[in-house]
Amino acid sequence: MATLGKKLFILSVRMGRGLWHRGIVSSSNPVQSAVEPLEKLQESSSDAITEQMAKSLKYPDFFKVAELFTVEDLFNARVHLGHREGSLNDHMSQFIFGSRLSHLIFDLDQTATLLREALNFTAHIAFRGGIILFVGRIPQHQVMIENTAKECGEYAHTRYWQGGVLTNSTIQFGSVIRLPDLIIFLHTMNNVIYEHTAIRDAAKMLIPTVGIVDTNCNPNLITYPVPGNDDSAASISLFCNLFKAAILRGKEKRKELLGVH
Amino acid sequence: MASIRCWNSTTPEPSSKPLTSVPASDTIKHEGSGNQLIKVSKAMKAYQEKAQALDALMFEKTTEYEIGRRHLANMMGEDPETFTDEDIDTAIEYLFPSGLFEPRARPLMKHPTEVFARKKVAEFDETGRPFHVLFYTGLPNYYQVLHDLSEKVRELDSFSDRMMQYNIHKDPERTLNVGGTEWVKKEQLEDILLEKLKDKQYEFFVRSMNRLLDHPFSYRVEEFIMKFRKHVQISVIHKEIPKLMFTAEGTPYMAAVGRRKTSTASVTVYGRGSGKISINGEDLLYFKYIQDREQVLFPLQFSGLLGKVDVVADVDGGGFSGQSGAIRYAISMAVRSFVDEQMMEKMRLAGLLTRDPRRHERKKPGWKGARAKYTWKKR
Repeated sequence: MATLGKKLFILSVRMGRGLWHRGIVSSSNPVQSAVEPLEKLQESSSDAITEQMAKSLKYPDFFKVAELFTVEDLFNARVHLGHREGSLNDHMSQFIFGSRLSHLIFDLDQTATLLREALNFTAHIAFRGGIILFVGRIPQHQVMIENTAKECGEYAHTRYWQGGVLTNSTIQFGSVIRLPDLIIFLHTMNNVIYEHTAIRDAAKMLIPTVGIVDTNCNPNLITYPVPGNDDSAASISLFCNLFKAAILRGKEKRKELLGVH
Repeated sequence: MASIRCWNSTTPEPSSKPLTSVPASDTIKHEGSGNQLIKVSKAMKAYQEKAQALDALMFEKTTEYEIGRRHLANMMGEDPETFTDEDIDTAIEYLFPSGLFEPRARPLMKHPTEVFARKKVAEFDETGRPFHVLFYTGLPNYYQVLHDLSEKVRELDSFSDRMMQYNIHKDPERTLNVGGTEWVKKEQLEDILLEKLKDKQYEFFVRSMNRLLDHPFSYRVEEFIMKFRKHVQISVIHKEIPKLMFTAEGTPYMAAVGRRKTSTASVTVYGRGSGKISINGEDLLYFKYIQDREQVLFPLQFSGLLGKVDVVADVDGGGFSGQSGAIRYAISMAVRSFVDEQMMEKMRLAGLLTRDPRRHERKKPGWKGARAKYTWKKR
């Protein structure tokens, strides 16, 4: 059910409408109703910028994010290494290639496909000037994640998550603020064995999420899960660099095509 | 807009008019985004108006302050150009004498920057994008400091690794000197960061900074550390110690007066002596009890002058305990002139230089003594 919903989601994205239609899409012809509004939109505004934005959605890989990595790069960064069999989350079993001496191994072909989708989505968000928030709660990688965010001009939150950041932002920050348009989880788990609160809150606030999910993580509420190792510095470093590259590509195109910095 | 819209509706979105303050191309069109961006621009506008109002207020107050300062200078007959803030304080004290006890209730005239608290500048631009990387944490400045701290520790670790390669160890002379300073208090840190902190967050900050400070190469990040250290006020008010006087023969001596309970002792300590003690013409056996004799000898023994100085004491009033205490205090005060600063500090810590203020407390009627009450009976 989750995969079907995601496929419809991707389809609706490709039709250029309902970038924000998350969750369960009704089965009563969502695709067809998606076509009409796009044409209407094109008729109503002959703005070159809007045209460009619509055009960008017609390509499966507008920013050529597939060039950013190979499966060998993933292997060298030890992305395929999971935890032991005992801690496997049932929802992750679909992404597992197998296990060796009770250590689980990810299927890097699946990881590569999902990672390309995630990078593509990230680049599109950056292209449209969206706010991207990097989240990760493991102290060893805190500084790396914050630096990644700084280098691509986006935002990071690797500290204690105050409850109302997304759901009660007006009171939390003292004024009306713009919430992130995408949240990228380098770690979906908190320090302890619990999931990061932001996963649930982002789903509540209809903010799409990209997340690196390890064998002990739950990918359910994450829009673009990327199965892979989240414990090695090498793999986290690789993911940080990939997301940074995708964002910078999106921003480059933004400057080039939309003329906005 | 007549149809009921919800997050999963599949009805087409009506074309929204472009916002005047925000370019249409800059927005991501989705349900409710238009409203949110209008709100954000309004918030930004409101901030700008507030900032302008604050600037205008500060300008007005500063000009008033300057005019006031010139008036005060003229009133006091001083040169307006060189009239400092301290001069203003003295002038106000003179012209507006206040009998109020609380210092904060007395009239004062300070520069507007000291009176009006600093506030944080706008945290996001007109498109709603925050300026600071860590804005969404809620405490961007505090976490930025922690981030910088982490980076510095890594820097120093990699530096020390490189030094180990070349077999260069820590130079003991190049140590960061933080003597006479301490970490800023929680309130001061809040003023620096313009953010309210919890106690735990402050404690974590201090622990982390101590870790940086303890690094053998911490002198390389002195500037960063010193930002969060403030100088400690010296607790002891340095009284002027009288200089040694000399007799006709050239022996140095110092005289002092000491009091305890109702006894007064006037003592002269002569240098280049052999440890002779004279109290009211008699020697140390003037005091019948060993405790009193020890009290007299203690300052000399503590400062190491036991067999090196002569003491001549005249004491009157009180009993043996009061008299011995008075002589001890007087000797301690006299010995200050013979001894260096370090020993004097040690004497102060030992309690030799404190005048014992205790006096006899009167008995109260209905009480057995000064404090003791008669046996309490329930019925």
